[in-house]
Amino acid sequence: MKSILPRWRQILASLLLSVLLLVTACAPQAPSRWDEAQKESTQKPTQVSRTAGKPVEGGKFNKFFPAGGGGYQRVYTQEKPGFAEAKLKKSGQDVAVISISDTASNPTAAQKFQQSSKKIGGYPAVSQGSNGTAVLVANRYQVKVQSRSPGFTQSDRETWLQKFDLNGLSQLR
Amino acid sequence: MSKPIFQLVDELPTNNVTTMVLRSLDFVVPGQWQNIVGFTNTIKAVTGETDDSFIQQIGERAIFLYNDKSQGYQRAMWLYQTVDNTDTALAAAALANKVGGAIPLMGGLLTSLTPKANKAQAIDLCLKLVVELVAFCQINGIPGDSIGDFLGALGEYSGESLMRMAALVCIDGLIPLGPDFLGQTLSMLGETTPSDLEQNSTFKGISSLIPGGNPAGQLGFINQSFDSVKGWMSNFVASRGLTPEAVVSNMQNFVQISNDKLDYLGAFLDMSTNYYEHTGTQTLARRLIERAAAEI
Repeated sequence: MKSILPRWRQILASLLLSVLLLVTACAPQAPSRWDEAQKESTQKPTQVSRTAGKPVEGGKFNKFFPAGGGGYQRVYTQEKPGFAEAKLKKSGQDVAVISISDTASNPTAAQKFQQSSKKIGGYPAVSQGSNGTAVLVANRYQVKVQSRSPGFTQSDRETWLQKFDLNGLSQLR
Repeated sequence: MSKPIFQLVDELPTNNVTTMVLRSLDFVVPGQWQNIVGFTNTIKAVTGETDDSFIQQIGERAIFLYNDKSQGYQRAMWLYQTVDNTDTALAAAALANKVGGAIPLMGGLLTSLTPKANKAQAIDLCLKLVVELVAFCQINGIPGDSIGDFLGALGEYSGESLMRMAALVCIDGLIPLGPDFLGQTLSMLGETTPSDLEQNSTFKGISSLIPGGNPAGQLGFINQSFDSVKGWMSNFVASRGLTPEAVVSNMQNFVQISNDKLDYLGAFLDMSTNYYEHTGTQTLARRLIERAAAEI
């Protein structure tokens, strides 16, 4: 008996410790509006990766971007798989973000264009949120202009969308 | 598993030693840094959007991109987190002992600090610079050893990124190494051997993500990085007239220390702040959200 008792205590103590760790590790996190997205995007394979295709390299988009000019400066900022982005600056201030993304890696992004009744540069166009305008080229490439300054209006966004080489982009495979 | 991105941004502190230090450095880059915390808040601040369901879509895409390990965002976050070696207990104790809103750097707190040798400090400065370069490339999608692209982008730094560089110059340069911190770092770096590097605890933590292949090659990369950025730094210091005295006098409202103990102030700031992680999280969240808003 003598030798068994301390052993039981040891087991009990380690059991209690495990329970304590388990409880403190899981307890205090309040639910968040982002929990579902976190769960979905950490499962393998994810919903998105099941439906997504392979995107083209972001660097291939650069040549279809409009150059600066007319007081605007174009500064490239990001180049990731299926994505390229630049900002437009005027008098040192950021006024807009311009981008091309490949909806092959995010097919839901292309769906909103199905209801589009407007065309810009011959391609289906949508307004998004309060400061974004986008067109879908070749049913695949989303070209978007987002204002970052109140002075950069909806009509500025449409003008800049047409400055992209949309027809050139439509040939990209 | 590491924490979700929304949780990291939600948990950014609004008032600790790090935020006090960064606020005191506002005079270096006036108005550039606002301490934006919270994932939803950051989405609103970056995009200017207010519609809740649209914000939800942006946030969900950002979370998806962050969790896709091949995108590089998690590596960048890990670098920002690992290069700061904060002693949270010391920071908490210092805060608890505030007198009239300021931390008196004397007595027991002072004796618990060990200023770093200049060589270790110089290596730390260079490693933080290299972390910025590698993390920048991971976040923005430029090949990891592209010093030239980084240098071009440095001129475009603003907001919390510019504040991080300002803090690097002040906290890891001017305060511990003095007004000639660039010259000092250059000569210390010249004396550094690959085995010195291997013994540096900061290097041990991040070496797996530093380009160069082996310690000798990595030392070469560190030299090359510092060499190309030192001109930018020296111009940053000169154009703003920065001196150790100016930095310390702006810090006096939250930390009290005599001017002959600047190496202790350096040690205290090193141990009690995580300004790289704090502003790095803000930078990463901003870029991620920008991309998400463009892609959805």
